[in-house]
Amino acid sequence: MALKTNMKILVVDDMSTMRKIIKNMLTQVGFTNITEADDGATAWPLIEGAIKEGKPYEFILSDWNMPQMSGLDLLKKVRETSGLEKLPFLMITAEAEQGNVVIAVKAGVSNFIVKPFSAQVLKEKIDKIFNK
Amino acid sequence: MNLYEMPEYKEIVIDFCTESEQLFDQLETHLTNLEDDLSNTSELEKFGQIIDRIMGAAKSIQASEIATFCELGKVIGYKSSQVRDIPLLEVVVAILFDALDLLRKMIKSMRDGNNNSMKNLNTKAFTTRLNWLSNKFKDIERSSCAINGNLNQNSIDDLMKSLGL
Repeated sequence: MALKTNMKILVVDDMSTMRKIIKNMLTQVGFTNITEADDGATAWPLIEGAIKEGKPYEFILSDWNMPQMSGLDLLKKVRETSGLEKLPFLMITAEAEQGNVVIAVKAGVSNFIVKPFSAQVLKEKIDKIFNK
Repeated sequence: MNLYEMPEYKEIVIDFCTESEQLFDQLETHLTNLEDDLSNTSELEKFGQIIDRIMGAAKSIQASEIATFCELGKVIGYKSSQVRDIPLLEVVVAILFDALDLLRKMIKSMRDGNNNSMKNLNTKAFTTRLNWLSNKFKDIERSSCAINGNLNQNSIDDLMKSLGL
């Protein structure tokens, strides 16, 4: 299934360099409608606002480890929200311990990607999530 | 050639250096606060969280020496935040200050595009010191600090498959 290039994407990471790298990769694989947030706590109002506008995000990529609201807590909030139960949510992490992966899967994560990753690997993950 | 040496990554590398330098100032503040009051070990938790950010970005641009330093700094920061041994904490603060100093020099070399300068920093010897210190905390369990127990992408994919995803 071909994905819409203007799919509404939210990239959440507390390191601006990482957001730029991820945004670059998403652009490389053809996506054009990308918004950034620097923490789960700043991402959440954006997600709520987008729902209110009737233009919800269609895909979230979030770092796990962030100071105010972690990627896991953001994922839980998303999954508790009516209409977002199935929103594709890709968790990004520099290190993944088995227990954490299981917790995230139970919380409803769509997939995991480990830093460092290439645009190609990111594309494969996205294809996997959307072609399930 | 590593990603950070590629011309198309130049802008991202400059941003990474600038952002890292800002975060080093925060790391230094946390170490100074701890030095003033060695019982205030929450400063080490904050240190671990900030250096983790630099680690993730360093890995992504394949700055592996910087990433290794940050990874060890993160483990030491998080784990040592759980100890109350003041003489050991004095050593932790001293070594982390030195590590921070070396990280600043590594970032400066990267910004200047000077590989020789990076080689002259003799980071391997200091990595040995960081490993030695990290081993002092090997019995402390801490999620996201399992340096040898972390999964790679293939293991995660296999695990997710076994969990039905």
